[in-house]
Amino acid sequence: MTDTAPAPATAHDRPAAAQDGPATAHDRPDRTVATWVFAVGRAYGAEDLAGAAGLSAAPVRPLAFAGLTAVVQDVPAALFGREALTERLSDPGELERCARAHHAVVTAAAACGPTVPMALATLYLGDERARAALTADAGRFRTALERVGGRVEWGVKVYARPDAAGARPGVPAGGVPGPDAPGAGRAYLERMRGVQRAREEGRSSALRTAEEVHAALSALAVAARRLRPHGPGASGERRTQVLNAAYLLPESGADRIAAAVEELRGRAGAGVDIETSGPWVPYSFAGEA
Amino acid sequence: MGVADPVPWDASDPGLAPIGVPLVDLLDRVLATGVVISGDVVIAIAEVPLVRLSLHALLSSVSRRVPAPWTDGGPL
Repeated sequence: MTDTAPAPATAHDRPAAAQDGPATAHDRPDRTVATWVFAVGRAYGAEDLAGAAGLSAAPVRPLAFAGLTAVVQDVPAALFGREALTERLSDPGELERCARAHHAVVTAAAACGPTVPMALATLYLGDERARAALTADAGRFRTALERVGGRVEWGVKVYARPDAAGARPGVPAGGVPGPDAPGAGRAYLERMRGVQRAREEGRSSALRTAEEVHAALSALAVAARRLRPHGPGASGERRTQVLNAAYLLPESGADRIAAAVEELRGRAGAGVDIETSGPWVPYSFAGEA
Repeated sequence: MGVADPVPWDASDPGLAPIGVPLVDLLDRVLATGVVISGDVVIAIAEVPLVRLSLHALLSSVSRRVPAPWTDGGPL
C-alpha cells in the first residue's frame, strides 16, 4: 500500500518547536503542520468545502496542482506523525472518528463534481510536498476522474444464514433417544452427519447465489469489483458473508440496481440475504481498475 | 437467532456516528480502496497491529488467529 514511499520521513521526528511564528503559511516548510489529503477533483472553491469539519480545527481547503484540485487540511504534525497516527488508528473509536471525518469531507467534495477519494491517512509534510506527490500522479487522477464522473458506487453483500431451511435435518421423527437408550450414539452420529451435510449444501448454494448476483449486477454496471468478504463474527455478524462487491453505476442507476436486487432476492430463496448500501462516492473505482 | 436486519443507512450509534454509514462498509472503502500514492507520513495500515485492532471485522484469517479486541463485538 503506502510502503512504496521513497523516504518514510515522519513528522514527529522533527522538533515540534522549530518554528517561532504561528503555523499559518502553507507554502513554507512548517514542521508543526502536516497536510492531509482527502480527495482530488477538477475544481473546488473554498466555499464548497467550508461546511466540512475534517480532522482538525483548520479549514478544509482546495490545493491546486497540475490543473486539478486536491481537498486538503492542515493537521498538527505532532498528532499525525507515523507513530502517533498508527497508535490512534489502532483504537477502534479513533479509527471510526477519523474514517467518518475523512468520509464526510470526501462526500462534501463529491457533491461539487467528480471526485476521487484518497485512502485514509494520505499525509504530507506541507503543501509543497503534497503538490509534488500529487503532480507526479496527475495522469492517474485524470483517468480516474474520467471513470467516476457522473457515476456512483453501490455496495452489495450476500450472506448465507446459519438457520437456513434444512439446517436441522436428520432428527428422527420419533424424537431424539435419551443418552442411555440403545442406538443413541448412532443416532447422534447420524444427526451430526445430517447437520454437516445440510451446512455444506447451504454453503454451496449460497456461493452459487453469490456468483449469480455478481454476474447479474456486473451486467448492469459500468464496472464491478469484489472486495474482501468480511470474516465470521464481523460486527457481531452471525451469517456467513459470501459476496462483498461494489458496482459502479450512472447516478441515475439507483432504480435499476434496486429492481435487480429485488428480483435476485426473489430467486435466491430463504437461506440467503442480499443487502445493498449506497450510493457511495466511487471509492472502489478510484484506484487502478 | 442471529438474523440481523439489513443495516439501515442511518442506524448507527448516534454518539459514534455523525453520518449513518455502516462502519464496516466505510472501513472497507477508506482503508482498502481509494487512490494510494506515496505519502510523507507512512503508516502501516496493512501491518499487524492495526489490522488486529481495527480490521478483525474485515479479515477472517486474522480474526481466527488473534482474539477480538472488542469484547462487545464492535461498534455496530
